[in-house]
Amino acid sequence: MRTAVRILQRVLGAVPLLLALVIATFVFVRMIPGDPVDILLGQGGNVSAAEVAALRQSLGLDEPIQVQLARFLRGLLEGDLGHSFWQRQPVARLLVTTLPATVELALAALFFALAIGIPVGILSAVRPGSLLDRLAMATSFLGISMPAFWAGLMLMFLFAVKLRWLPSVGRLDPALDLRPVTGFLVLDSLLTGNWPALRSALSHLVLPGLTLGLELMAIVARVMRSSMLEALQQDYIRFARAKGVSGWSAVLRHALPNALVPTVTVVGLQMGVLLGGNMVVETVFAWPGLGRLVVGAIFARDYAVVQGAVLLYAATFVLANLLVDILYAYLNPKLSL
Amino acid sequence: MTKGMRTRSMGRVLAAAAVSLLLAAATGCSRSQPPGQPTGASGPSPGPSAGEGQVLRFTIDYTKDREAEVQAIVADLRKIGIEVSARLWEKQTLLDAAKTGEREAYTTDWGSSTFSPYDLAIPKLKTGDRGNFSHYSNPEVDRLFEVGSFGATEEERRQAYFKVQEILKEDAPWIFGYFRMTVEAASARVKGYRPALDSRMNLHDVSLEGGDTLVVGLLTNALQSLDPANHRDRETETVIRNIYDGLVTRTPDGKVVPELAESWQTDDNKVWTFTLRQGVRFHDGTPMTAEDVVFTFERTLSPTGIDGQPSPRAGLLGPLEKVEKVDERTVRFTLSQPFPEFLQLLPHHQIVSKAYVEKVGSAGLSERPNGTGPFKFVSGRLDGEVILERFDDYYGGAPDLPPVGPPPLRRVVFRMMPDPASRVSALKAGDVHIIQAVPVDAVPDLEQDPAIQVLTAEGTRLYMIELNNKVFTDRRVRQALNYAINWDAILSAVYGGTAQRVPTAMLPSGFGYNPDVQPYPYDPDKARELLREAGYQVR
Amino acid sequence: MSLRRQFLPLLGLAVVLLYVLAAILAPYLAPYPPDEVNLPMRLRPIGTPGHPLGTDHLGADLLSRVLFGARVSILVGVLAVSLSLAVGASLGAVAGYFGGWVDGVFSRFADLLMGFPYLLFTLFAMAILGPGIANLVLALSFKGWVEFFRLTRGEVMSEKTREYVLAARALGRSPAAIIAGEILPNIRHSLLVLATLRMGYLIVMEATLSFLGLGVPPDVPAWGSMVAAGREYMVSAWWIAMVPGLAVVGLVLSINLFGEGLREALDPRLRSL
Repeated sequence: MRTAVRILQRVLGAVPLLLALVIATFVFVRMIPGDPVDILLGQGGNVSAAEVAALRQSLGLDEPIQVQLARFLRGLLEGDLGHSFWQRQPVARLLVTTLPATVELALAALFFALAIGIPVGILSAVRPGSLLDRLAMATSFLGISMPAFWAGLMLMFLFAVKLRWLPSVGRLDPALDLRPVTGFLVLDSLLTGNWPALRSALSHLVLPGLTLGLELMAIVARVMRSSMLEALQQDYIRFARAKGVSGWSAVLRHALPNALVPTVTVVGLQMGVLLGGNMVVETVFAWPGLGRLVVGAIFARDYAVVQGAVLLYAATFVLANLLVDILYAYLNPKLSL
Repeated sequence: MTKGMRTRSMGRVLAAAAVSLLLAAATGCSRSQPPGQPTGASGPSPGPSAGEGQVLRFTIDYTKDREAEVQAIVADLRKIGIEVSARLWEKQTLLDAAKTGEREAYTTDWGSSTFSPYDLAIPKLKTGDRGNFSHYSNPEVDRLFEVGSFGATEEERRQAYFKVQEILKEDAPWIFGYFRMTVEAASARVKGYRPALDSRMNLHDVSLEGGDTLVVGLLTNALQSLDPANHRDRETETVIRNIYDGLVTRTPDGKVVPELAESWQTDDNKVWTFTLRQGVRFHDGTPMTAEDVVFTFERTLSPTGIDGQPSPRAGLLGPLEKVEKVDERTVRFTLSQPFPEFLQLLPHHQIVSKAYVEKVGSAGLSERPNGTGPFKFVSGRLDGEVILERFDDYYGGAPDLPPVGPPPLRRVVFRMMPDPASRVSALKAGDVHIIQAVPVDAVPDLEQDPAIQVLTAEGTRLYMIELNNKVFTDRRVRQALNYAINWDAILSAVYGGTAQRVPTAMLPSGFGYNPDVQPYPYDPDKARELLREAGYQVR
Repeated sequence: MSLRRQFLPLLGLAVVLLYVLAAILAPYLAPYPPDEVNLPMRLRPIGTPGHPLGTDHLGADLLSRVLFGARVSILVGVLAVSLSLAVGASLGAVAGYFGGWVDGVFSRFADLLMGFPYLLFTLFAMAILGPGIANLVLALSFKGWVEFFRLTRGEVMSEKTREYVLAARALGRSPAAIIAGEILPNIRHSLLVLATLRMGYLIVMEATLSFLGLGVPPDVPAWGSMVAAGREYMVSAWWIAMVPGLAVVGLVLSINLFGEGLREALDPRLRSL
């Protein structure tokens, strides 16, 4: 009960921050030179001044900025994020239909980061200084130092263009029929028992997932290694080992749970990497998610979409931090929220 | 202790390196930057009054897509002693600056869809028009434009445009440019596909050897809508035209032919009467009627037609005033003034079902489109892919575009692929079967691939370097700039064989093109002479 | 610390110095001017006589462009880190020392900036400011100072209760003198380590912005925009994107290795990468 109240307090406490963010975005995006009406009409055609004025009015751009802001905030209270003038539909709907692609990609990246990062970290910690350890740690530096846009291009070049093992762009082989249920293609194909679609969706996730997960993977491996090393130094592990608990059992059963705590924290704090990185990765892999949406919207001066997307980014960020705290408290009961 | 000392000295080394680097890099960067900063509206201080020996100095502003060309142009201009520099801009930012008249010379482009100067030369060069970023103004040209658009006879109109081109070449308001071929590529398995002059893809007559699902890689990031009246975008229209049909359509060569209309008639270019085809059905099974046609156009004209908002396509109806049903199979369009290009605008409007739109609204129509076209909507997302399926009750399509009948393809997928490299690699990998906008450099490679066909059509977008005529007030200077650039060499190096020069501001594929007006030849001596006359130093 | 563990940071430093040297000597080392367009020689592969790393889509020599590109990356990295450090450390020291509403204002502002993904915020800034080196440095620092602010603020808060500070205060020295003369020297190692580690990050960010077309103009060769230009030629001329990307990786990797070594040596408490 007390925990629930605390969580609620945290969520409510984030509201002013989110509001400030969205207002800042509202102002920033209008400071970028360029006229949405020009973009909508494109560079071409014969358009009368009257039509230009009518379009400007229909986009609500004929009013002073404070009036626009007031209208936007009023809409926000009613849950209305405005209209995308380029995609010509409500922003809220656009975000809802875009989010599953982004979340699916982030989960894939998280999966790769953990599935590779954690075992590598453990193995390095168990044999510190070994060839494997040194190789793994050197490689992890590479993971941190590689720009995602380049890593993605190179992976695409190698595995999609040259070797043709994996698809290069998109989420699903378009020849396949997949009835949309949740928008998460992997889930949808499981729910409808569509195995070819599942195969295709998974194979499309590999390259962008790896690219996006690369940096986190390196971080997880390093944190896992150091916290595991620390855990293995603890008295109770030495004690357990002395009592004859076999090496791996001691590592996995006793040291691992303790070593996981810092990893969870770091993963949570690095959710921003997954979110911030997705703009680049989604652009490279033509992944129809939030990142590509927002980059496109900035270039198209699609004000409402940028505002909505920033709000969503920030809310996710706040939520991820909260989740980390909850998980942290759960893993480490001595701490309160 | 030693450790601490070593690392401390490491830090000192780094700091020293950083400082020396800063100095070196700062000097280096200023060196590699082009001479002359953008000078704004004060401009290249031109005019005949300029003293002897003055150097002509200005900046060409460009956008990323024109980089290679502009670099080569800069080299040509510097050869004759013009101190020109180039500056990259983000597209919309540059447009904004050019509109306000604060820049000197800038790359621009303008698309046309009527195959006439009506939406190309006129908006670009008529005094004060929306696209007139060169701030050019010539009353005689304005008058001729008026005759060209609304003149009584075709010959009168043609002669007016002919004359305009002669004047424009003399006046040289821009550095005249070129148009590009629309270069698309398809798998060799694709049969019956031809890129159209207006760059909309018609997949009705296309088939795929050994398959019935065709995937198209579109160059756009996202479509705007699947409602034919609620967008202003070529790629959106490509998808929409496969779902919906219009009264008329265009052949790949740009000729307007009947589609949902059987025929049309006009005496004065002011009242147009269309006879509708019978037995056409919408995808929901209801028959198409004259009411649907009237509703379609009234919806586009109305300031509240799209769920209370104006349609962004209203401007594509010209001076259309009134649409009325004459009888079950006849519809009459009345314009506010005679307008010969009206027919060229109509392929850009597709017929919707009155009953359906009134039921689901415009948002509902975009979500679940219902047209009379060869393919019906299955599912999709505007920024992902749109999946269409054969419409079995299709009436067969335009008789002038054989074969007539149901489409051979069972399924069509339009996939948004804004990245050109991704489009090419997806085509090579067999993931898509037709791609738009092949990058020029991929062409030789694709042409050698026996599994791929490269297809071209003349484009309808004009590319040029506009000069701010308020800054470049001396016609001789503007002419000199046109003489000084070796366009043919640049275009063939940068765009391969896929770009073609135009003499002025009109396209060979459009109405009123004057074949007697030739492009400025590459003549650096003539350019020097003109510049010298205008009072500038040359080399 | 064993010799083996020292090896990588020293190697990193050596490579960084090589990059710095290459950047300084670029005009002498580069066989061609970096922006020399030579259209007949475009898209030549690695190993072409006269163009050891090939040429790009304009026929410019890739080796020359990579050498000059080092200037942009290092210049932007160093300037952005310095500016972030200067602003962040000053504000952090003030906020940490005085606390109260001053701290409140700056901290809330920092929180606000933390809510934006770095790339998104910098994209905004560049879209508003327009391309250019100075603008890049500004845009990167707009958010970059926050990390330094947080570190300094925390350190100053804990240091200011230490005896040496209390003693200085008792002697009547001004807050400015105490911060600059007493506290900052004590936390300069942490700042140096953070600065080194952030440098690699900011260089990647610069490359990413240039890649997205909002960095430096392409007539100033930057690695990110070179990769972006090469992206369209991945199928026919992969080296255009590969070569400058490798240059980024090499530099950032070396900086990070060196920074990690510094961290272990100077300030093991600081969170690892």
